[in-house]
Amino acid sequence: MPGKWDWLKDEIGFSNLLTGGKMLLKVISGKLSVDDLTKCALCPNMCRHTCPVSIVDGRETTSPAGKARVAFMIREGRLELNLENLEPLYMCLSCNICTLYCPFEFSVADLTRPINEEAVKKGVVFEEFKKVFENLENYGDVYGAKSEEENGKGKVLYIRGCTIRNELPELSEKALSLLKKLGFEVFTINETCCGIPAYNLGNVELFKKLADENAKKINQSKAELVITSCPSCAYAYRVLYPKYGVKLKPKVVHITEILGDRLKGLKAEGEVTYHNPCKLALGLDQKELLKDILNKIEGLTVKEPRKEFFCCGYGGSAISRLNPELAEEIAQERRKQLKDGADKVITACPSCKLALNSDELEVLDIVEFAHQLLGE
Amino acid sequence: MLDEIMKKSKPKNIENAIKKLSEKLGNKKISIKPADLFSYSHDYWLITFHWLLQGKVPAFPDVVVWPESREDVVEIVKIAHEEGVPVYPYGGGSGVLGGAIPEYGGIVVDVKRMRSVQVHEEDLVVEAETGINGHYLEEYLNKRGYTLGQIPQSLYPSTLGGWIATKAIGQFSTKYGGIEDMLLGIEAVIPPGKIVELKPHPRTATGPDLRKLFVGSEGIFGIITKAWLKIWPYPEERFLMSFASETLEDALDSVRRILRRGAKPAVVRIYDKIETKRHFYKFDEMYGKVGTVIIVEGDPKIARTEKEIVEEEFKGKPMGEEPVKHWLETRFIVKEVSEFAPLGVVIDTIEVAVNWSNAAKLYYNVVNAMKSVKGVLFASAHASHFYPQGVCFYFTFAGLPPKNVSATEFYNQVWDKAMKATLESGGTISHHHGIGRHRAKWLAEELDGAYELLKKIKHVIDEKNIINPGNMGV
Ligand SMILES: Cc1cc2nc3c(=O)[nH]c(=O)nc-3n(C[C@H](O)[C@H](O)[C@H](O)COP(=O)(O)OP(=O)(O)OC[C@H]3O[C@@H](n4cnc5c(N)ncnc54)[C@H](O)[C@@H]3O)c2cc1C
Ligand code: SF4
Ligand code: SF4
Repeated sequence: MPGKWDWLKDEIGFSNLLTGGKMLLKVISGKLSVDDLTKCALCPNMCRHTCPVSIVDGRETTSPAGKARVAFMIREGRLELNLENLEPLYMCLSCNICTLYCPFEFSVADLTRPINEEAVKKGVVFEEFKKVFENLENYGDVYGAKSEEENGKGKVLYIRGCTIRNELPELSEKALSLLKKLGFEVFTINETCCGIPAYNLGNVELFKKLADENAKKINQSKAELVITSCPSCAYAYRVLYPKYGVKLKPKVVHITEILGDRLKGLKAEGEVTYHNPCKLALGLDQKELLKDILNKIEGLTVKEPRKEFFCCGYGGSAISRLNPELAEEIAQERRKQLKDGADKVITACPSCKLALNSDELEVLDIVEFAHQLLGE
Repeated sequence: MLDEIMKKSKPKNIENAIKKLSEKLGNKKISIKPADLFSYSHDYWLITFHWLLQGKVPAFPDVVVWPESREDVVEIVKIAHEEGVPVYPYGGGSGVLGGAIPEYGGIVVDVKRMRSVQVHEEDLVVEAETGINGHYLEEYLNKRGYTLGQIPQSLYPSTLGGWIATKAIGQFSTKYGGIEDMLLGIEAVIPPGKIVELKPHPRTATGPDLRKLFVGSEGIFGIITKAWLKIWPYPEERFLMSFASETLEDALDSVRRILRRGAKPAVVRIYDKIETKRHFYKFDEMYGKVGTVIIVEGDPKIARTEKEIVEEEFKGKPMGEEPVKHWLETRFIVKEVSEFAPLGVVIDTIEVAVNWSNAAKLYYNVVNAMKSVKGVLFASAHASHFYPQGVCFYFTFAGLPPKNVSATEFYNQVWDKAMKATLESGGTISHHHGIGRHRAKWLAEELDGAYELLKKIKHVIDEKNIINPGNMGV
């Protein structure tokens, strides 16, 4: 079989080799290449249609390539590193849906993050973020709530995460009862935020500090398995910590991952659709998991939403703080897409549930749904 | 810190206009932030990315506005007209000829927040605001069992308004046509801030077809705010076919005969030998030949008959479904500019149309003309859209400017050769990308006396010359 670039070698020919074709040959042999941010800045936005921010906000500046172009100009010193110019870079949900369609498999969030990190290092930080950093520094909790709980010990550690502890405590009750029914002896500890909000907002140092604290607590608990209710926590533990050299001894799973076949054979009625949490579906690469679990339930009609992947609007920590109206508009758009599937939605993330549940749409976490099916 | 290369002037009354905009629309819908002005200083005209890499932009607007309704658009056009400040409609910014560049400063109007959509199933009509994203619209229809059949390669970044304004066309055009064939009704705002609404009918004989005035208008008559378009039931059957022919002429003639018999395969693409090698190198038997991919789709009975016609008429070795599947999988991969432009390689594509009788001649003339420019590394083409009367050739060139020749000079030299060769070979200088600011210099020659007519019409609609001034050279 001829090679990918043989056509070009044939075309360039000998005479052109002397003038400039040589350089091209270096490119095609991989000896010379362009850096990723520049590549993205030059792209015609081939993932714009998948980016929830871009579809809803409509601003070129916050489109995927638009953000890359602003980041590029900041990096090149052509635009100043100030809050006004940073604002579009933070209009990102860190959902990585762009990666699915990008010919280079880029994540815009990853490409622009170095700029945000540099800004934090230099103290160029939005007021809205300072409060988050303070809460995390002082209480190890995004909401700034103090946790008094004792640290337990055992084999299976259940971690609720900040959102459930602060906003949906009933979900943790249900999760504990569900896990018990499924045969897991679980314990809890005095939790510290996994650090993902700090990471999302560009504060790597704080993120690392929280990661170390988590690792210490979790490793000391002697757990062999960690089950989280929040996909972002599982993503931080499983994907981000290793990247930053932080070691967790136990295996980490999101609660949906252990439901797997365990709901098979249960019976239900009616129609549901599903909302894939970005960090579960894309972050942990479980694109089909939620749909598969639902499809195994007898008697349940599972309808596909209009878009398989679309963030609820509250991912990434920045938009909901800097531009809550945009977050709500994205949630509203997602509700419409889900309603094209069904009026009842199953998801697997407390933040997605909070974002999407509304008068016109009933949104249940898979834990609540399973809990119902198993008989409350 | 970012120099402007194309800026002609700054509107005198801009401060007044901005003040009025903020009073009428509120500050949330407008911006004068540097990052926003930068984002709207260009579209996807490729040579301008060589400028961007050097910290130069085509031209900054003074303000960007994001209307949320046609009433907002009316206010904007009114203010612009009163103050004599230019307005530039902006969609997805995927236009490749500089048509959205705010050359004279002023107001960029991005309509992407206007994206409502609704289907009228019995009438087979979709009604949508023009800021709607192309892929979003198609997916919305597919979910309901329909298709618009408009699948340009820029489906992901572009908008409905941009399609109408540039007279865009999709990969499935041989069956579904271009945007002009789909458009039934249109709503637009023209100076001094008036709504023109032409309602959708199956057909109407109510004087000259004014809807068509906006097709290919490239934002010089007004801002298109809504459209009604024909839709089709989602195809039930799809056949994938491909062929390897000995010569380009064999493949072209095959398609000519297929269309003469009334068959309408949705997709037909004939790649010259270079592009066959480039795109289908994994298929040994196609290498060194002229490759063609064809998709026939629609109602199963009709599609089967069309497939038979293709098989009867095609002069070339059948290559089966795999090359077509490969094309389907790779058709939205766009990487070349990202990979090569930063290294100084100048790349672009040029699409022209020609009648069958001149088709092969035009192909050779244009390829040779481009290759005659010093520094051009390759020039190639595929035929991408077909009619019983003729064909669209989509040329690609890449090159490295010789010493002492700037990227822009080199780029213009190649374009000039290609445009002149097209005109001399009896072709038209654009099949679907349009004119924009770049192609304006060849438009007068092509339109001849009709160019004056275009200018007159522009003047009657927009007497103060505030709507996308300078675009298409009018
Ligand atoms: C990778 C790539 C592939 C492409 N493939 C194709 C293809 O297959 N077929 C094809 O036809 N084209 C193609 N194009 C060209 C381009 O995508 C089309 O011209 C498209 O229609 C532009 O739409 P847009 O929304 O991006 O418009 P923009 O680039 O924003 O604007 C284009 C022009 O239309 C005007 N305009 C935009 N919106 C409005 C409005 N609402 N009212 C009035 N005027 C308006 C602007 O002022 C400007 O003059 C491609 C471009 C790229 C980058
Ligand atoms: S992430 Fe990929 S597809 Fe999206 S704009 Fe960047 S390069 Fe293009
Ligand atoms: S990570 Fe999500 S929000 Fe950010 S650019 Fe990609 S798709 Fe858009």
